[in-house]
Amino acid sequence: MEIIKMENIAKLYKLGQVQVEALKNVSLSINDKEFVSIMGPSGSGKSTLLNVIGCLDRATGGTYELAGNFVDKLSDSKMSEIRNMFIGFVFQNFHLLPRMNAKKNVEIPLIYRGINTKRRNELAENALEMVGLKDRMHHLPSQMSGGQQQRVAIARAIVGNPSIILADEPTGALDTKTGELIMELFIKLNRKSMTIVQVTHAEEIAEYGSRIIRLMDGEIVSDEINGGKINV
Amino acid sequence: MQNKGKILSFFIRLKFSALMAFDGITSNLLRTSLTVLGISIGVAAVVSLMGIGEGARRSIVSQFESLGENVIVIKSNAENVIFEPEEAEEMPDRVEGVEYATPVVYTEDTPVRWRRDESEMDIVGVNQHYPEIKDHPVILGNFFTSLHVKQRSPVAVLGYNVAGNLLSGRSPVGQIIKIDGINYRIVGVLSEKGKGQGDGIDDKIVIPYTSAMKILDTKNIPEIWAKSISAEDSELAIVQLGRIYKRKIGLGYNITPNNEQEAPGGDIDEDVSMEAPGGEEVIVEEPEPAGEPDSQDPESENKDENVFKKGEEPLTITSLNNLVEEADQANRIMTVLLGGIAAVSLLVGGIGIMNIMLVAVTERTGEIGVRRAMGAKKGDLLIQFMLEAVYVSIIGCIVGILLGSWAVSIVSNYGLPAVVSFDSVKIASFVAIASGLLFGVYPAINASNLPPVEALKRQ
Repeated sequence: MEIIKMENIAKLYKLGQVQVEALKNVSLSINDKEFVSIMGPSGSGKSTLLNVIGCLDRATGGTYELAGNFVDKLSDSKMSEIRNMFIGFVFQNFHLLPRMNAKKNVEIPLIYRGINTKRRNELAENALEMVGLKDRMHHLPSQMSGGQQQRVAIARAIVGNPSIILADEPTGALDTKTGELIMELFIKLNRKSMTIVQVTHAEEIAEYGSRIIRLMDGEIVSDEINGGKINV
Repeated sequence: MQNKGKILSFFIRLKFSALMAFDGITSNLLRTSLTVLGISIGVAAVVSLMGIGEGARRSIVSQFESLGENVIVIKSNAENVIFEPEEAEEMPDRVEGVEYATPVVYTEDTPVRWRRDESEMDIVGVNQHYPEIKDHPVILGNFFTSLHVKQRSPVAVLGYNVAGNLLSGRSPVGQIIKIDGINYRIVGVLSEKGKGQGDGIDDKIVIPYTSAMKILDTKNIPEIWAKSISAEDSELAIVQLGRIYKRKIGLGYNITPNNEQEAPGGDIDEDVSMEAPGGEEVIVEEPEPAGEPDSQDPESENKDENVFKKGEEPLTITSLNNLVEEADQANRIMTVLLGGIAAVSLLVGGIGIMNIMLVAVTERTGEIGVRRAMGAKKGDLLIQFMLEAVYVSIIGCIVGILLGSWAVSIVSNYGLPAVVSFDSVKIASFVAIASGLLFGVYPAINASNLPPVEALKRQ
């Protein structure tokens, strides 16, 4: 089943007098339970693509359908709801709220969904258990290592059971060993039928994906099934 | 069911926004307290300045009120305008709305001898209706009677302080006091009015006006006090008195009193001619043809002012009710003015809030981005940052009210009659919270309008 269906997506930026085409005619579809790595050098448009997929940004051309919703025509408020319901974000720098403990951080998407405290507790604890940090749920981000923080961020991404996890350089701020642990966690989640799309510029991280899409100057230059590490 | 869920969801989000706002103000306590200080100084200034104004107002009003409710003072200001005691005595029968009336005679620095002590005192001569007119009962003995007045009896009622000084607290009723060389029997003592109240009556001696006229060796009286039962009666009486004295003096307009002349009862006088309805009755003596007086009123007011400037005002009819009202009004304006000036500092405090909120929004741009990514809507952020500004102004408001009350209590310890009025607290709170909202709006809109992508880029 197709979760993401993009046709002729374009993204134009205006930088003063100059127009920059960050994405040109990108057509892409991603199925349920895929683990996709999007690769490309900086300026290739991979982050822009991820932002459009994540409904953080709007395309300037083309159509985008996410889990049956035509996103490009939605209001700002509806976009917020779509993000909340269908997408879990994982950022390079974790982006946890510093003055809240792990569990509270994980609860945030549920709050915006209007879920009551009791149910939130339950779901947050489950999510933290999934990433192996249930014993740390009362710790503040500052009391945890980078890898642990990223795992809390992943718990936050999956807590609302979204259709898709979007990760932007999820290992960019971590050392290689920790980065591998995060990737293993992704694979575990993927095997539990979670769809994952990650952006990375590191080949060895991209290799964890079951499919690798390469971008160059705003265009898809290759899109292939990766037989690699996933089956190791 | 769906609606219930929506409402519940709204409250869950609202609660979170409120929590985040609280987190915002506690995240930098120094900065928050400085902003709070800005607001609280403004609030304290409003509360204390208005408190001083309100205190002054109340003290002036109570001074006027202590002169007696619904009392009309008819006072001669010119040598050729004189009253006969009978005018006063007959006034309740002849003038509708007047319940009691008394001639009033003052003596100043009259030699008084108590046993071996000589002193000089002010004496007030009135008739037996004084207690009713001035709402001023005796606490010891009795007030003198109409018989005493008629017979020009040497009887005296002492002001509260006078009595207290004589026998160190024991009742002086029945004792003899010598006034202007004549033995007066003390028949009663008046209740206490308080310092500065009732025109200083506590330090005076009250005797029958007939006796006082004898001391002054005069056949005329300078002043009449008339009492009405209600404010409406008082107005009615004033209109009639104005008409009567207009006719009596034979001057068309100059009954109208001026507004600045000192009278024992106060200083603002009732404009009689302006209030008289149906001026037709007066025209017998008026030089103008019939029908004119009404249209002439504004002009005649101007004439009155001229008359006052020349110092020719022959007679004033003063309602203490109006005095109280006008003094009250004047002071109220003063108080509001003071409050307004102080409110400017609140505005400055509000700008402080805006400043700090703009910084907070910039600082938390990354956080705003993350929360937008998690599904926060513009409204969630708007509410959060608005609440943050409102928290600061509410805390500032509470601190300011406490500070202001403290300042007021210090000031009143130094003898100024300052009070914390509910009005000042109301105004200060309103302005503080309104400025919090007003100055919080812009930063909050800024925060909510940040595009999620942009917000996430900034850290």
